[in-house]
Amino acid sequence: MAAVVHKLLHHDHHANREPPSQSSQTEPSNQSGQSNQPPPSPHERQDSAMDRARDEEKHAVAQWDEQRQPLEPGQIEQDRKWVGHSSRVLRQEDFELIKTLGTGTFARVWLVRLANAREGDQHKVFALKILRKVDVIRLKQVEHVRNERNVLGSVAGHPFITTMVASFQDHDSLYMLLDYCPGGEVFSYLRRARRFNEATSQFYAAEIVLILEFLHEKMGVAYRDLKPENILIDAEGHLKLVDFGFAKKVENRETYTLCGTPEYLAPEVIRNTGHGTAVDWWAFGILVYEFLVGQPPFWDQNPMKIYEQIVEGRVRFPSAMSSDARNLISGLCTVDTSKRLGNIKGGASAVKSHAWFQHIDWDALYHRRINGPIVPHLRGPADTRNFDEYEPESDQREPYSNDMAEKWDEFFRDF
Amino acid sequence: MSLPPDYSNEITALNREILKHQPSDTLQFCANFFSRRLESQRAEFLLSQQHSSSQGRGLAESTFPGSNPFSTSPSGGFATSHMQRLEEEEENDVVASPTAASFSPDAMDHAQSTPGEDTFGNFENFADSAKSFPRQPPGLGAMDAQSFPSNYNMNRRTSVSAESLNPASSINDNWTPPYHQKTNDQQARLKAGVAGNFLFSHLDDEQSTQVLGALQEKPIPTKGIKVIAQGDVGDYFYVVESGAFDIYVNPSGKLEAGPDGLGNKVGTVGPGGSFGELALMYNAPRAATVVSTQQSTLWALDRVTFRRILMESAFDRRRMYEGFLEEVSLLSSLTPYERSKIADALETKKYPPGTTIIREGDAGESFYILEAGEAEVYKRGVDKPVNRYKKGDYFGELALLNDAPRAASVTSTSDVIVATLGKDGFQRLLGPVEGIMRRNDPSKASALDADAVDPLAR
Repeated sequence: MAAVVHKLLHHDHHANREPPSQSSQTEPSNQSGQSNQPPPSPHERQDSAMDRARDEEKHAVAQWDEQRQPLEPGQIEQDRKWVGHSSRVLRQEDFELIKTLGTGTFARVWLVRLANAREGDQHKVFALKILRKVDVIRLKQVEHVRNERNVLGSVAGHPFITTMVASFQDHDSLYMLLDYCPGGEVFSYLRRARRFNEATSQFYAAEIVLILEFLHEKMGVAYRDLKPENILIDAEGHLKLVDFGFAKKVENRETYTLCGTPEYLAPEVIRNTGHGTAVDWWAFGILVYEFLVGQPPFWDQNPMKIYEQIVEGRVRFPSAMSSDARNLISGLCTVDTSKRLGNIKGGASAVKSHAWFQHIDWDALYHRRINGPIVPHLRGPADTRNFDEYEPESDQREPYSNDMAEKWDEFFRDF
Repeated sequence: MSLPPDYSNEITALNREILKHQPSDTLQFCANFFSRRLESQRAEFLLSQQHSSSQGRGLAESTFPGSNPFSTSPSGGFATSHMQRLEEEEENDVVASPTAASFSPDAMDHAQSTPGEDTFGNFENFADSAKSFPRQPPGLGAMDAQSFPSNYNMNRRTSVSAESLNPASSINDNWTPPYHQKTNDQQARLKAGVAGNFLFSHLDDEQSTQVLGALQEKPIPTKGIKVIAQGDVGDYFYVVESGAFDIYVNPSGKLEAGPDGLGNKVGTVGPGGSFGELALMYNAPRAATVVSTQQSTLWALDRVTFRRILMESAFDRRRMYEGFLEEVSLLSSLTPYERSKIADALETKKYPPGTTIIREGDAGESFYILEAGEAEVYKRGVDKPVNRYKKGDYFGELALLNDAPRAASVTSTSDVIVATLGKDGFQRLLGPVEGIMRRNDPSKASALDADAVDPLAR
């Protein structure tokens, strides 16, 4: 573990180093004139050039974390970075599926190891998110999936956001190769501890503020699904935001599609008056409340009753909560977006200068120089003890027919 | 030197308790308070230790939670020891919300007055159901039951998402909401039927007319018809025009085959009642089965139509406001992003004819854009109006800049709708207007002459 820490914190002078392998930068889509086709299956093309490219890329992928370090916000935006690229050569067979780490309605995340890898690369593990095209289409999530891939690609390199090393696809599935975050979900720790003390809550909340500041103000991205389930703890105890399924580049325009998690939905999402990055600040207030109290402020068995409470927006606080925390949460969970902390003048910096965060050294935090309150016990980099068990995948799968491929593959072309 | 923040927090909490309970034995009350706090923090600390690194870093008093990991040495923040492992608590506990309707408003900050009885955290009183928890012997376990709100569904929460919606005008699609003719009586009954539903109570007149117009009559010819089936996908919301329906819930979560497949009857709904409203939010499985008990008539509204009506009107209004704002010379240097923020913050107000919206000589606090209707401008000593305003005209914007009194009065001559924003609202979002004006021309703000930018002064 010490070695990993060293790597992560080591500021070498190759932050903008060229991609590890030139051949991995394959030209997108237009090769062989098959612009609308997904990459050919291994049975169709077996020429040695392709195999060599694949081998090179696997090695590059395996070595990606050798140069891993938090990129400065300005560096993340650069097109030259290698992580987050769309690979035309990787395939599912390049990875051995070890264990399910999480499931969603149309996706499953696996812990994977490189298969048939070079000497020294065999033990490299990743999280591989597999999405079935059939389900993505059936659940009308095509647009969301495209947003997810594009946003994750563009934010790769931020210290507290899961790094998408590469994405690729085959006939019926989409793949996102992500760094494996062995600590598991903040959700699991929070439920076991019931609630976090103020210092722990402040630490995690502060890292989230840095993420939102970056997403909103550097990238123009609204995340739209903040909750403890989507925040993982890495090997050193820092956070990684995962699941960008609802993230969207909104810039300065409002958007209308309802999405999120019931307890965390902002009032303007429920009322459909148009929403933007301010929804994340609302959800952040809910999150801080849930950290400190153990449950979100608005809850009922009947979801409509939750929404009614949210739209009304009256947050009740347990009397033990400090006045700074109450003030912060009240500022964030303000129904009127023109009064909501984070959305008003100053943006994220107004949140950062709030009294509840007065002891945070923001620069040290960004550069991971502050120890996290919970450092997971790990036997090794592939330890999965912090993840729950999930039901095995159902064998019955609707096939992705050629008709569907003809209609939909153009939407996945850049994946 | 200032007191440590954790200490201040504790003292503030204690002060609140003292004020609330006015204890006769102050010392005893304080002693109880602190021992409960200590107990609570130690227990929490132990819980957190189950997940922390096992590389031992001695246990020191100052490393208990509450100390701040940022203000102390990097390694000292969280000590590790395995004093005692706690049983994990059961998930899926009782169900109640801290803010549920059934929850008494006083309960939140209320605690019993006998000092020995109440718990510090007040979580005990978080919900009525928590009180029914059996008292456990003193110790960590007891503390858990007393101080945590054991009523929340502890499972992982699923994300929800509705159909992707894009405003018609942004994609060149001429969408208009469906319209189904209704008698005045029907219209009035429908309006009353949805009045209690918060999704409808926020609608403005135009949205309300469109939504009521879009409700479609659905005859139910006979008894025994399942209008919605528990577990099925839900796309429609229904209002009962006439007839009656029974509501059933099967504990399995979905309608099943066989004589008992409906589950238990949990209620009935008659004229003016409604059901299936979650379908107006997103596609979630139906929570109950609703069966007609006689020939009936329903009004039905689908989610996409409902949400689209809300979206189109919000979208149109935002673009209209942004257009109006572009014309305000005082704000000409706003970026499109800033303009959309201001548009979002504008508040709509309505006035009947003959209302004086701003009065000459009053202190100015807000600026106005005339969204609909007409108004006239009067100055003292002049008989006739000195100016007339129509849709898109704006007035009173100097109030964003200074506290100078209004230079004229503006009176509505018809029903008017104005969009308005106060100086405080503007500054909260973007800071002082002066700063924004200086962007264009540093000399402009200081050389600002009221005559140049205030149409009231013309």
